[in-house]
Amino acid sequence: MSYLLRTLKKKEEVDTLIRDTIDKVLVLRFGTSTDSVSLLLDDVLSKSERDVSKFASIALVDVDSEDVQVYVKYFDITFIPSTVFFFNAHHMKMDSGSADHTKWVGAFHCKQDFIDVVEEIYRGAMKGKLIVNCPLPPERIPKFQLLYKDV
Amino acid sequence: MNPRIHHRNAAPVKMKKKVKEEKNEYELCKVCKINHNLGRRHNFYPNHIKSLSSFLSRFQTKLSDVRFFLKNPTILLPEHAARNRLWCVFCDFELDEIDSSFACANAINHLASADHLKSVKDFLWRYGGGMDRIDSFRIVELDLAKWEKKCKLLNEAANNGSQRLLTGPVNDIHNELNSENFYNCDRNTIHNLNSSFTNGVVPLQNHTLEEYQVSGIAEFDGHVHGANSCTSTSSGTQFGYMDNQHASILNGRIGSHPNGGMKQVIQHERTNGERSFQGLQKLHRVPSIAGDNATGNVHSGGPPPWFSSTDKNLPNDKQRSGKSSKLNPKRVGAAWAERRKMEMEMEKRGEIVTTKFDSSWLPDFGRVWQSGSRKESKKEFQVEINTSHKDESQAVTPAELQPYVSIRQVSSNSHLMAPSAATYPILKKDILILPKFGEYMLIFM
Repeated sequence: MSYLLRTLKKKEEVDTLIRDTIDKVLVLRFGTSTDSVSLLLDDVLSKSERDVSKFASIALVDVDSEDVQVYVKYFDITFIPSTVFFFNAHHMKMDSGSADHTKWVGAFHCKQDFIDVVEEIYRGAMKGKLIVNCPLPPERIPKFQLLYKDV
Repeated sequence: MNPRIHHRNAAPVKMKKKVKEEKNEYELCKVCKINHNLGRRHNFYPNHIKSLSSFLSRFQTKLSDVRFFLKNPTILLPEHAARNRLWCVFCDFELDEIDSSFACANAINHLASADHLKSVKDFLWRYGGGMDRIDSFRIVELDLAKWEKKCKLLNEAANNGSQRLLTGPVNDIHNELNSENFYNCDRNTIHNLNSSFTNGVVPLQNHTLEEYQVSGIAEFDGHVHGANSCTSTSSGTQFGYMDNQHASILNGRIGSHPNGGMKQVIQHERTNGERSFQGLQKLHRVPSIAGDNATGNVHSGGPPPWFSSTDKNLPNDKQRSGKSSKLNPKRVGAAWAERRKMEMEMEKRGEIVTTKFDSSWLPDFGRVWQSGSRKESKKEFQVEINTSHKDESQAVTPAELQPYVSIRQVSSNSHLMAPSAATYPILKKDILILPKFGEYMLIFM
Protein backbone atom coordinates (compact mmCIF):
# COMPACT_ATOMS: atom_id res chain seq x y z
CA MET A 1 0.00 0.00 0.00
CA SER A 2 2.99 2.26 -0.45
CA TYR A 3 1.17 4.11 -3.20
CA LEU A 4 -1.53 5.22 -0.79
CA LEU A 5 0.31 5.80 2.45
CA ARG A 6 3.82 6.89 3.34
CA THR A 7 6.09 3.90 3.77
CA LEU A 8 9.23 4.28 5.86
CA LYS A 9 12.21 2.01 5.53
CA LYS A 10 14.90 3.86 7.42
CA LYS A 11 15.29 4.77 11.04
CA GLU A 12 16.11 8.34 10.08
CA GLU A 13 12.78 8.70 8.30
CA VAL A 14 10.92 7.35 11.28
CA ASP A 15 12.80 9.68 13.61
CA THR A 16 12.07 12.69 11.43
CA LEU A 17 8.43 11.86 11.26
CA ILE A 18 8.12 11.34 15.00
CA ARG A 19 9.89 14.60 15.72
CA ASP A 20 8.07 16.68 13.12
CA THR A 21 4.54 15.58 13.92
CA ILE A 22 3.44 18.22 16.37
CA ASP A 23 0.10 18.27 18.20
CA LYS A 24 -1.20 15.43 16.09
CA VAL A 25 -1.37 11.72 16.74
CA LEU A 26 1.20 9.77 14.74
CA VAL A 27 0.06 6.30 13.76
CA LEU A 28 2.93 3.99 12.84
CA ARG A 29 1.96 0.67 11.39
CA PHE A 30 4.67 -1.97 11.60
CA GLY A 31 4.10 -4.69 9.08
CA THR A 32 4.90 -5.92 5.63
CA SER A 33 3.33 -5.41 2.28
CA THR A 34 3.01 -9.13 1.77
CA ASP A 35 1.15 -10.09 4.90
CA SER A 36 -2.61 -10.33 4.39
CA VAL A 37 -3.59 -8.88 7.77
CA SER A 38 -1.20 -5.97 7.23
CA LEU A 39 -2.85 -5.31 3.91
CA LEU A 40 -6.26 -5.41 5.53
CA LEU A 41 -5.12 -2.91 8.11
CA ASP A 42 -3.52 -0.75 5.43
CA ASP A 43 -6.79 -0.66 3.56
CA VAL A 44 -8.60 0.66 6.62
CA LEU A 45 -5.83 3.17 7.29
CA SER A 46 -5.75 4.51 3.77
CA LYS A 47 -9.49 4.98 3.69
CA SER A 48 -9.59 6.77 7.01
CA GLU A 49 -6.52 8.89 6.45
CA ARG A 50 -8.46 11.85 5.16
CA ASP A 51 -11.06 11.66 7.87
CA VAL A 52 -8.48 11.86 10.64
CA SER A 53 -6.10 14.17 8.80
CA LYS A 54 -6.86 17.09 11.08
CA PHE A 55 -5.67 15.35 14.19
CA ALA A 56 -3.63 12.39 13.04
CA SER A 57 -0.94 11.38 10.56
CA ILE A 58 -0.43 7.84 9.37
CA ALA A 59 2.71 6.10 8.14
CA LEU A 60 3.71 2.53 7.41
CA VAL A 61 6.99 1.04 8.57
CA ASP A 62 8.34 -1.99 6.80
CA VAL A 63 9.60 -4.48 9.39
CA ASP A 64 11.65 -6.32 6.78
CA SER A 65 13.92 -3.35 6.42
CA GLU A 66 17.17 -3.77 8.33
CA ASP A 67 17.50 -0.19 9.32
CA VAL A 68 14.26 -0.35 11.20
CA GLN A 69 15.10 -3.43 13.25
CA VAL A 70 16.17 -1.30 16.19
CA TYR A 71 12.63 -0.01 16.41
CA VAL A 72 11.24 -3.48 16.03
CA LYS A 73 13.23 -4.47 19.09
CA TYR A 74 12.61 -1.28 20.98
CA PHE A 75 8.87 -1.45 20.51
CA ASP A 76 8.86 -5.20 21.25
CA ILE A 77 7.12 -5.99 18.01
CA THR A 78 6.48 -9.68 17.83
CA PHE A 79 3.24 -9.84 15.89
CA ILE A 80 2.50 -8.04 12.68
CA PRO A 81 0.78 -5.84 11.97
CA SER A 82 1.39 -3.78 15.09
CA THR A 83 0.38 -0.15 15.34
CA VAL A 84 2.13 2.23 17.68
CA PHE A 85 0.72 5.65 18.53
CA PHE A 86 2.73 8.78 19.30
CA PHE A 87 1.82 12.30 20.30
CA ASN A 88 4.49 14.99 20.33
CA ALA A 89 7.19 12.32 20.28
CA HIS A 90 5.69 10.67 23.32
CA HIS A 91 4.38 7.15 23.13
CA MET A 92 0.67 6.77 23.82
CA LYS A 93 -0.60 3.57 25.38
CA MET A 94 -4.07 2.16 25.08
CA ASP A 95 -5.67 -0.32 27.44
CA SER A 96 -7.73 -2.52 25.19
CA GLY A 97 -8.06 -5.38 27.63
CA SER A 98 -5.14 -7.27 26.13
CA ALA A 99 -1.80 -7.88 27.79
CA ASP A 100 0.03 -5.38 25.62
CA HIS A 101 -0.99 -1.77 26.15
CA THR A 102 1.88 -0.32 24.19
CA LYS A 103 0.55 -1.06 20.74
CA TRP A 104 -2.44 -2.22 18.77
CA VAL A 105 -1.90 -5.71 17.43
CA GLY A 106 -3.89 -6.80 14.42
CA ALA A 107 -6.27 -5.06 12.07
CA PHE A 108 -9.45 -3.06 12.65
CA HIS A 109 -12.90 -4.33 11.75
CA CYS A 110 -13.94 -1.11 10.07
CA LYS A 111 -12.89 2.46 9.46
CA GLN A 112 -15.00 3.74 12.30
CA ASP A 113 -13.21 1.56 14.82
CA PHE A 114 -9.89 3.00 13.80
CA ILE A 115 -11.23 6.55 13.87
CA ASP A 116 -12.68 5.97 17.33
CA VAL A 117 -9.38 4.65 18.63
CA VAL A 118 -7.40 7.55 17.20
CA GLU A 119 -9.91 10.03 18.52
CA GLU A 120 -9.69 8.52 21.98
CA ILE A 121 -5.92 8.75 21.91
CA TYR A 122 -6.05 12.36 20.72
CA ARG A 123 -8.49 13.35 23.40
CA GLY A 124 -6.45 11.64 26.07
CA ALA A 125 -3.25 13.24 24.82
CA MET A 126 -4.79 16.69 24.80
CA LYS A 127 -5.76 16.17 28.41
CA GLY A 128 -2.28 15.04 29.35
CA LYS A 129 -2.93 11.33 29.64
CA LEU A 130 -0.29 8.89 28.48
CA ILE A 131 -2.61 5.90 28.60
CA VAL A 132 -6.23 5.79 27.48
CA ASN A 133 -9.00 3.24 27.51
CA CYS A 134 -10.12 1.58 24.35
CA PRO A 135 -13.58 2.70 23.23
CA LEU A 136 -14.26 -0.48 21.27
CA PRO A 137 -16.20 -3.44 22.62
CA PRO A 138 -14.11 -6.54 23.39
CA GLU A 139 -15.47 -8.55 20.50
CA ARG A 140 -13.93 -6.11 18.04
CA ILE A 141 -10.47 -6.19 19.56
CA PRO A 142 -8.11 -8.76 18.03
CA LYS A 143 -6.88 -11.32 20.53
CA PHE A 144 -3.35 -12.65 20.79
CA GLN A 145 -1.10 -14.46 23.26
CA LEU A 146 1.81 -12.50 24.60
CA LEU A 147 4.88 -14.55 25.46
CA TYR A 148 7.65 -13.47 27.75
CA LYS A 149 10.96 -14.53 26.33
CA ASP A 150 9.29 -17.45 24.59
CA VAL A 151 7.85 -18.82 27.79
CA MET B 1 -77.65 9.78 25.57
CA ASN B 2 -74.91 11.96 26.92
CA PRO B 3 -72.11 9.60 27.77
CA ARG B 4 -70.96 11.78 30.62
CA ILE B 5 -74.28 11.61 32.44
CA HIS B 6 -74.30 7.92 31.91
CA HIS B 7 -70.95 7.59 33.57
CA ARG B 8 -71.95 9.67 36.54
CA ASN B 9 -74.67 7.26 37.26
CA ALA B 10 -72.58 4.22 36.61
CA ALA B 11 -70.89 2.15 39.24
CA PRO B 12 -67.40 3.23 40.41
CA VAL B 13 -65.91 0.19 38.76
CA LYS B 14 -67.18 1.33 35.40
CA MET B 15 -65.92 4.86 36.01
CA LYS B 16 -62.52 3.47 36.78
CA LYS B 17 -62.70 1.50 33.59
CA LYS B 18 -63.64 4.66 31.75
CA VAL B 19 -60.70 6.46 33.31
CA LYS B 20 -58.51 3.56 32.37
CA GLU B 21 -59.91 3.63 28.88
CA GLU B 22 -59.25 7.34 28.65
CA LYS B 23 -55.78 6.67 29.82
CA ASN B 24 -55.29 4.08 27.16
CA GLU B 25 -56.68 6.10 24.27
CA TYR B 26 -53.89 7.60 22.33
CA GLU B 27 -54.33 10.86 20.53
CA LEU B 28 -52.04 12.93 18.40
CA CYS B 29 -50.92 16.31 19.64
CA LYS B 30 -50.48 18.37 16.46
CA VAL B 31 -48.31 20.82 18.27
CA CYS B 32 -45.81 18.44 19.82
CA LYS B 33 -46.27 15.89 17.04
CA ILE B 34 -46.49 13.02 19.47
CA ASN B 35 -49.06 10.43 20.34
CA HIS B 36 -50.00 10.42 24.01
CA ASN B 37 -52.57 8.98 26.27
CA LEU B 38 -52.45 11.71 28.87
CA GLY B 39 -55.65 13.38 27.77
CA ARG B 40 -56.10 16.99 28.75
CA ARG B 41 -53.20 16.87 31.17
CA HIS B 42 -50.82 16.94 28.24
CA ASN B 43 -51.67 20.59 27.58
CA PHE B 44 -50.12 21.66 30.85
CA TYR B 45 -46.83 19.92 30.36
CA PRO B 46 -43.93 22.39 29.91
CA ASN B 47 -42.80 20.77 26.66
CA HIS B 48 -46.23 21.20 25.20
CA ILE B 49 -46.44 24.79 26.31
CA LYS B 50 -43.09 25.48 24.75
CA SER B 51 -43.96 23.76 21.48
CA LEU B 52 -47.30 25.53 21.37
CA SER B 53 -45.77 28.97 21.80
CA SER B 54 -43.22 28.35 19.04
CA PHE B 55 -45.90 26.83 16.82
CA LEU B 56 -48.18 29.80 17.19
CA SER B 57 -45.40 32.35 16.86
CA ARG B 58 -44.33 30.75 13.60
CA PHE B 59 -47.81 31.03 12.25
CA GLN B 60 -48.02 34.61 13.47
CA THR B 61 -44.97 35.60 11.44
CA LYS B 62 -46.61 34.19 8.34
CA LEU B 63 -49.79 35.97 9.19
CA SER B 64 -47.91 39.24 9.56
CA ASP B 65 -47.09 39.07 5.84
CA VAL B 66 -50.76 38.59 5.08
CA ARG B 67 -51.66 41.49 7.36
CA PHE B 68 -49.27 43.69 5.45
CA PHE B 69 -51.14 43.01 2.27
CA LEU B 70 -54.36 43.54 4.14
CA LYS B 71 -53.27 47.08 4.86
CA ASN B 72 -51.59 47.62 1.50
CA PRO B 73 -53.42 45.74 -1.18
CA THR B 74 -51.37 45.07 -4.25
CA ILE B 75 -52.23 43.61 -7.55
CA LEU B 76 -50.95 40.11 -7.91
CA LEU B 77 -49.20 39.05 -11.10
CA PRO B 78 -49.60 35.45 -12.27
CA GLU B 79 -45.90 34.85 -12.26
CA HIS B 80 -45.75 35.63 -8.58
CA ALA B 81 -48.89 33.79 -7.65
CA ALA B 82 -46.94 30.64 -6.99
CA ARG B 83 -44.94 32.36 -4.29
CA ASN B 84 -47.92 33.46 -2.25
CA ARG B 85 -48.90 30.27 -0.51
CA LEU B 86 -49.96 29.79 3.05
CA TRP B 87 -50.80 26.68 5.01
CA CYS B 88 -53.50 27.33 7.55
CA VAL B 89 -52.50 25.22 10.54
CA PHE B 90 -55.90 25.53 12.16
CA CYS B 91 -57.88 24.30 9.20
CA ASP B 92 -55.15 22.09 7.68
CA PHE B 93 -55.78 23.77 4.40
CA GLU B 94 -53.45 25.19 1.78
CA LEU B 95 -54.24 28.69 0.59
CA ASP B 96 -52.80 29.41 -2.79
CA GLU B 97 -53.27 32.48 -4.86
CA ILE B 98 -53.52 31.04 -8.31
CA ASP B 99 -56.83 32.60 -9.21
CA SER B 100 -56.66 35.75 -7.17
CA SER B 101 -56.07 39.18 -8.57
CA PHE B 102 -54.68 40.70 -5.39
CA ALA B 103 -51.83 39.54 -3.24
CA CYS B 104 -52.97 37.17 -0.47
CA ALA B 105 -56.59 37.66 -1.47
CA ASN B 106 -57.51 34.02 -0.90
CA ALA B 107 -55.67 33.98 2.39
CA ILE B 108 -57.39 37.13 3.58
CA ASN B 109 -60.78 35.83 2.61
CA HIS B 110 -60.12 32.54 4.35
CA LEU B 111 -58.82 34.13 7.51
CA ALA B 112 -61.93 36.27 7.69
CA SER B 113 -64.29 33.36 7.13
CA ALA B 114 -66.47 31.76 9.75
CA ASP B 115 -65.05 28.28 9.16
CA HIS B 116 -61.58 29.49 10.01
CA LEU B 117 -62.83 31.16 13.16
CA LYS B 118 -64.45 27.91 14.20
CA SER B 119 -61.21 25.96 13.53
CA VAL B 120 -59.18 28.49 15.52
CA LYS B 121 -61.52 28.22 18.46
CA ASP B 122 -61.44 24.46 18.30
CA PHE B 123 -57.64 24.39 18.09
CA LEU B 124 -57.12 26.73 21.00
CA TRP B 125 -59.60 24.84 23.11
CA ARG B 126 -58.01 21.54 22.29
CA TYR B 127 -54.38 22.56 22.71
CA GLY B 128 -54.79 25.27 25.31
CA GLY B 129 -53.50 28.33 23.51
CA GLY B 130 -55.61 30.88 25.34
CA MET B 131 -59.05 31.75 23.99
CA ASP B 132 -58.33 35.46 24.22
CA ARG B 133 -55.93 35.23 21.33
CA ILE B 134 -58.46 34.22 18.76
CA ASP B 135 -58.44 37.58 17.01
CA SER B 136 -54.71 37.45 16.47
CA PHE B 137 -55.17 34.43 14.24
CA ARG B 138 -57.97 35.74 12.14
CA ILE B 139 -59.02 38.81 10.25
CA VAL B 140 -61.94 40.76 11.59
CA GLU B 141 -64.79 41.89 9.38
CA LEU B 142 -63.87 45.53 9.71
CA ASP B 143 -60.40 45.00 8.33
CA LEU B 144 -61.77 42.85 5.56
CA ALA B 145 -64.18 45.58 4.54
CA LYS B 146 -61.39 48.15 4.46
CA TRP B 147 -59.27 45.87 2.38
CA GLU B 148 -62.03 45.26 -0.11
CA LYS B 149 -62.56 48.97 -0.45
CA LYS B 150 -58.90 49.56 -1.16
CA CYS B 151 -58.89 46.80 -3.75
CA LYS B 152 -61.81 48.41 -5.51
CA LEU B 153 -60.02 51.72 -5.58
CA LEU B 154 -56.96 50.04 -6.96
CA ASN B 155 -58.91 48.41 -9.70
CA GLU B 156 -60.65 51.62 -10.62
CA ALA B 157 -57.42 53.54 -10.65
CA ALA B 158 -55.84 50.99 -12.86
CA ASN B 159 -58.74 50.98 -15.26
CA ASN B 160 -59.19 54.72 -15.36
CA GLY B 161 -55.60 55.50 -16.12
CA SER B 162 -54.20 55.24 -19.59
CA GLN B 163 -52.30 52.21 -18.58
CA ARG B 164 -53.76 48.81 -18.30
CA LEU B 165 -52.49 45.81 -16.55
CA LEU B 166 -51.58 43.20 -19.03
CA THR B 167 -51.98 39.68 -18.02
CA GLY B 168 -50.66 38.09 -21.14
CA PRO B 169 -47.75 35.72 -21.30
CA VAL B 170 -44.47 36.98 -20.06
CA ASN B 171 -41.67 37.39 -22.59
CA ASP B 172 -43.79 36.97 -25.65
CA ILE B 173 -40.87 36.34 -27.93
CA HIS B 174 -43.02 35.24 -30.78
CA ASN B 175 -44.16 38.80 -31.35
CA GLU B 176 -41.07 39.89 -33.10
CA LEU B 177 -42.66 42.84 -34.81
CA ASN B 178 -43.63 44.28 -31.49
CA SER B 179 -40.19 43.84 -30.12
CA GLU B 180 -38.70 45.68 -33.03
CA ASN B 181 -41.03 48.55 -32.47
CA PHE B 182 -40.25 48.58 -28.84
CA TYR B 183 -36.52 48.87 -29.30
CA ASN B 184 -36.91 51.53 -31.89
CA CYS B 185 -38.75 53.88 -29.65
CA ASP B 186 -36.33 54.37 -26.90
CA ARG B 187 -34.30 57.47 -27.15
CA ASN B 188 -37.08 59.97 -27.42
CA THR B 189 -38.47 59.42 -24.01
CA ILE B 190 -35.32 59.28 -21.97
CA HIS B 191 -34.76 63.01 -22.06
CA ASN B 192 -38.05 63.60 -20.37
CA LEU B 193 -37.22 61.29 -17.60
CA ASN B 194 -34.05 62.80 -16.34
CA SER B 195 -35.65 65.89 -14.97
CA SER B 196 -38.04 63.96 -12.87
CA PHE B 197 -35.50 62.16 -10.73
CA THR B 198 -34.44 63.64 -7.53
CA ASN B 199 -32.25 60.93 -6.09
CA GLY B 200 -29.56 61.18 -8.75
CA VAL B 201 -29.95 57.74 -10.27
CA VAL B 202 -29.69 57.99 -14.01
CA PRO B 203 -31.21 55.33 -16.20
CA LEU B 204 -29.51 53.64 -19.05
CA GLN B 205 -29.41 55.78 -22.15
CA ASN B 206 -29.51 52.85 -24.47
CA HIS B 207 -31.66 49.84 -24.30
CA THR B 208 -30.13 46.47 -24.04
CA LEU B 209 -31.46 43.55 -25.95
CA GLU B 210 -32.19 41.49 -22.86
CA GLU B 211 -33.99 43.93 -20.69
CA TYR B 212 -35.10 47.42 -20.44
CA GLN B 213 -34.10 49.39 -17.46
CA VAL B 214 -36.36 52.19 -16.64
CA SER B 215 -36.39 55.23 -14.70
CA GLY B 216 -35.30 55.43 -11.19
CA ILE B 217 -36.71 54.32 -7.94
CA ALA B 218 -38.90 56.41 -5.77
CA GLU B 219 -39.92 55.83 -2.23
CA PHE B 220 -43.37 54.61 -1.66
CA ASP B 221 -45.16 55.68 1.40
CA GLY B 222 -47.96 53.24 1.18
CA HIS B 223 -50.27 54.99 -1.13
CA VAL B 224 -51.29 53.75 -4.47
CA HIS B 225 -51.23 56.17 -7.33
CA GLY B 226 -51.92 55.98 -10.97
CA ALA B 227 -49.11 56.10 -13.41
CA ASN B 228 -48.44 58.85 -15.84
CA SER B 229 -47.57 58.36 -19.41
CA CYS B 230 -45.06 60.22 -21.39
CA THR B 231 -45.38 61.63 -24.81
CA SER B 232 -45.78 59.11 -27.49
CA THR B 233 -43.13 58.39 -30.02
CA SER B 234 -43.33 58.46 -33.71
CA SER B 235 -44.24 54.82 -33.92
CA GLY B 236 -47.28 55.36 -31.79
CA THR B 237 -46.23 53.34 -28.81
CA GLN B 238 -46.28 54.68 -25.33
CA PHE B 239 -44.12 54.07 -22.35
CA GLY B 240 -45.07 54.46 -18.81
CA TYR B 241 -42.73 56.01 -16.39
CA MET B 242 -42.93 56.93 -12.81
CA ASP B 243 -41.79 59.91 -11.03
CA ASN B 244 -41.23 60.04 -7.42
CA GLN B 245 -44.74 61.05 -6.63
CA HIS B 246 -46.77 58.69 -8.69
CA ALA B 247 -46.29 55.02 -8.89
CA SER B 248 -48.12 51.85 -9.40
CA ILE B 249 -47.23 48.82 -7.52
CA LEU B 250 -47.28 45.81 -9.68
CA ASN B 251 -45.55 43.26 -7.70
CA GLY B 252 -45.37 42.09 -4.16
CA ARG B 253 -42.93 43.25 -1.64
CA ILE B 254 -39.50 43.69 -3.04
CA GLY B 255 -37.81 45.22 -0.11
CA SER B 256 -38.84 47.18 2.88
CA HIS B 257 -37.40 50.05 4.82
CA PRO B 258 -37.51 50.28 8.50
CA ASN B 259 -39.99 53.09 8.27
CA GLY B 260 -42.35 50.86 6.33
CA GLY B 261 -41.71 52.26 2.86
CA MET B 262 -41.34 50.14 -0.18
CA LYS B 263 -39.46 50.22 -3.41
CA GLN B 264 -41.49 50.57 -6.52
CA VAL B 265 -41.74 48.32 -9.43
CA ILE B 266 -41.85 50.01 -12.73
CA GLN B 267 -43.93 48.59 -15.46
CA HIS B 268 -43.61 48.97 -19.12
CA GLU B 269 -46.82 48.99 -20.92
CA ARG B 270 -48.12 49.46 -24.31
CA THR B 271 -51.42 50.91 -25.14
CA ASN B 272 -51.68 48.59 -28.07
CA GLY B 273 -51.46 45.71 -25.64
CA GLU B 274 -49.44 43.48 -27.92
CA ARG B 275 -46.35 43.35 -25.86
CA SER B 276 -46.13 42.53 -22.22
CA PHE B 277 -43.27 43.59 -20.08
CA GLN B 278 -44.45 42.75 -16.72
CA GLY B 279 -42.91 43.44 -13.41
CA LEU B 280 -39.40 44.24 -14.51
CA GLN B 281 -37.85 45.20 -11.29
CA LYS B 282 -35.54 48.08 -10.99
CA LEU B 283 -32.63 47.11 -8.90
CA HIS B 284 -31.11 49.50 -6.53
CA ARG B 285 -27.75 50.66 -7.77
CA VAL B 286 -24.84 50.48 -5.41
CA PRO B 287 -22.89 53.73 -5.40
CA SER B 288 -19.49 53.14 -6.92
CA ILE B 289 -16.42 54.07 -4.94
CA ALA B 290 -13.61 55.83 -6.79
CA GLY B 291 -10.83 53.60 -5.55
CA ASP B 292 -12.38 50.39 -6.75
CA ASN B 293 -10.90 50.46 -10.21
CA ALA B 294 -7.34 50.41 -8.96
CA THR B 295 -7.65 47.04 -7.30
CA GLY B 296 -9.73 45.52 -10.06
CA ASN B 297 -12.71 43.24 -9.85
CA VAL B 298 -13.93 39.89 -11.04
CA HIS B 299 -14.22 41.06 -14.63
CA SER B 300 -10.91 42.81 -14.84
CA GLY B 301 -9.15 39.89 -13.22
CA GLY B 302 -8.17 41.59 -10.02
CA PRO B 303 -7.21 39.64 -6.93
CA PRO B 304 -9.98 38.63 -4.57
CA PRO B 305 -10.03 40.50 -1.25
CA TRP B 306 -9.13 37.41 0.72
CA PHE B 307 -5.87 36.98 -1.18
CA SER B 308 -4.68 40.41 -0.33
CA SER B 309 -1.21 41.66 0.52
CA THR B 310 1.28 40.36 3.08
CA ASP B 311 0.09 42.96 5.55
CA LYS B 312 -2.98 40.94 6.07
CA ASN B 313 -1.04 37.74 6.62
CA LEU B 314 0.44 38.97 9.83
CA PRO B 315 -2.82 38.86 11.74
CA ASN B 316 -3.21 35.31 10.50
CA ASP B 317 0.11 34.39 12.04
CA LYS B 318 -1.00 36.04 15.21
CA GLN B 319 -4.21 34.10 15.03
CA ARG B 320 -2.27 30.89 14.52
CA SER B 321 0.00 31.54 17.44
CA GLY B 322 -3.06 32.50 19.40
CA LYS B 323 -4.61 29.20 18.50
CA SER B 324 -1.57 27.27 19.67
CA SER B 325 -1.62 29.11 22.93
CA LYS B 326 -5.19 28.01 23.28
CA LEU B 327 -4.10 24.38 23.16
CA ASN B 328 -4.02 22.80 26.53
CA PRO B 329 -0.61 23.49 28.07
CA LYS B 330 -0.99 20.26 30.03
CA ARG B 331 -1.28 18.12 26.93
CA VAL B 332 1.22 15.34 26.36
CA GLY B 333 4.57 16.63 25.18
CA ALA B 334 3.50 20.28 25.30
CA ALA B 335 6.91 21.62 26.20
CA TRP B 336 8.59 19.51 23.59
CA ALA B 337 6.05 20.58 20.97
CA GLU B 338 6.58 24.28 21.65
CA ARG B 339 10.32 23.89 21.51
CA ARG B 340 10.15 21.93 18.29
CA LYS B 341 7.81 24.46 16.69
CA MET B 342 10.22 27.27 17.50
CA GLU B 343 13.09 25.26 16.04
CA MET B 344 11.17 24.53 12.88
CA GLU B 345 10.21 28.16 12.41
CA MET B 346 13.79 29.23 12.89
CA GLU B 347 14.93 26.59 10.45
CA LYS B 348 12.39 27.84 7.91
CA ARG B 349 13.63 31.37 8.32
CA GLY B 350 17.16 30.10 8.00
CA GLU B 351 18.34 31.34 11.36
CA ILE B 352 19.64 27.97 12.44
CA VAL B 353 20.94 25.08 10.44
CA THR B 354 18.84 21.98 10.43
CA THR B 355 20.28 19.90 13.20
CA LYS B 356 20.78 16.28 12.40
CA PHE B 357 19.79 14.32 15.35
CA ASP B 358 21.87 11.49 16.68
CA SER B 359 21.25 8.22 14.93
CA SER B 360 20.84 6.58 18.28
CA TRP B 361 17.96 8.88 19.23
CA LEU B 362 14.92 7.03 20.39
CA PRO B 363 11.48 8.35 21.28
CA ASP B 364 9.98 8.09 24.69
CA PHE B 365 8.49 4.60 24.78
CA GLY B 366 6.97 2.57 27.55
CA ARG B 367 7.96 -0.99 26.91
CA VAL B 368 5.77 -3.98 27.50
CA TRP B 369 7.70 -5.54 30.34
CA GLN B 370 9.01 -2.34 31.79
CA SER B 371 9.37 -1.67 35.41
CA GLY B 372 10.01 1.90 36.38
CA SER B 373 9.83 5.02 34.29
CA ARG B 374 10.14 5.26 30.54
CA LYS B 375 13.61 6.70 30.81
CA GLU B 376 14.70 3.60 32.60
CA SER B 377 13.23 1.40 29.95
CA LYS B 378 15.08 3.44 27.33
CA LYS B 379 18.33 3.01 29.22
CA GLU B 380 17.66 -0.66 29.62
CA PHE B 381 17.15 -1.00 25.91
CA GLN B 382 20.30 0.91 25.16
CA VAL B 383 22.22 -1.36 27.48
CA GLU B 384 20.78 -4.38 25.72
CA ILE B 385 21.78 -2.95 22.38
CA ASN B 386 25.30 -2.28 23.58
CA THR B 387 25.75 -5.75 24.98
CA SER B 388 24.48 -7.30 21.82
CA HIS B 389 27.00 -5.23 19.86
CA LYS B 390 29.79 -6.30 22.10
CA ASP B 391 28.85 -9.89 21.71
CA GLU B 392 28.96 -9.58 17.99
CA SER B 393 32.36 -7.94 17.96
CA GLN B 394 34.04 -10.66 19.97
CA ALA B 395 35.83 -13.77 18.49
CA VAL B 396 33.85 -16.39 16.79
CA THR B 397 35.22 -19.47 18.55
CA PRO B 398 34.79 -19.32 22.21
CA ALA B 399 37.08 -21.24 24.56
CA GLU B 400 35.80 -24.60 25.60
CA LEU B 401 35.52 -25.21 29.23
CA GLN B 402 37.43 -28.21 30.45
CA PRO B 403 37.21 -29.90 33.77
CA TYR B 404 40.18 -29.79 36.04
CA VAL B 405 41.95 -33.08 36.38
CA SER B 406 44.72 -33.38 38.92
CA ILE B 407 47.96 -35.28 38.32
CA ARG B 408 47.11 -37.95 40.80
CA GLN B 409 43.78 -38.51 39.12
CA VAL B 410 45.48 -38.77 35.84
CA SER B 411 48.04 -41.21 37.08
CA SER B 412 45.56 -43.40 38.79
CA ASN B 413 43.35 -43.44 35.76
CA SER B 414 46.06 -43.73 33.23
CA HIS B 415 45.06 -47.24 32.30
CA LEU B 416 41.55 -46.18 31.59
CA MET B 417 40.44 -45.08 28.19
CA ALA B 418 40.23 -41.39 27.65
CA PRO B 419 36.74 -39.97 27.33
CA SER B 420 35.47 -38.54 24.05
CA ALA B 421 35.69 -35.06 25.37
CA ALA B 422 39.13 -33.74 25.29
CA THR B 423 40.96 -33.46 28.53
CA TYR B 424 43.96 -31.40 28.96
CA PRO B 425 45.46 -32.40 32.23
CA ILE B 426 47.73 -29.95 33.70
CA LEU B 427 51.12 -31.57 33.34
CA LYS B 428 54.72 -30.60 33.54
CA LYS B 429 56.27 -28.67 30.85
CA ASP B 430 57.90 -31.47 29.04
CA ILE B 431 54.79 -33.56 28.59
CA LEU B 432 53.29 -33.60 25.20
CA ILE B 433 49.76 -32.69 24.73
CA LEU B 434 48.12 -34.95 22.30
CA PRO B 435 45.23 -34.23 20.07
CA LYS B 436 41.79 -34.39 21.52
CA PHE B 437 39.95 -36.81 19.32
CA GLY B 438 40.09 -40.49 19.84
CA GLU B 439 42.42 -42.26 22.14
CA TYR B 440 45.31 -40.58 23.46
CA MET B 441 48.19 -41.63 25.48
CA LEU B 442 49.94 -39.69 27.99
CA ILE B 443 53.54 -39.80 27.57
CA PHE B 444 55.45 -38.99 30.57
CA MET B 445 58.91 -38.01 30.08
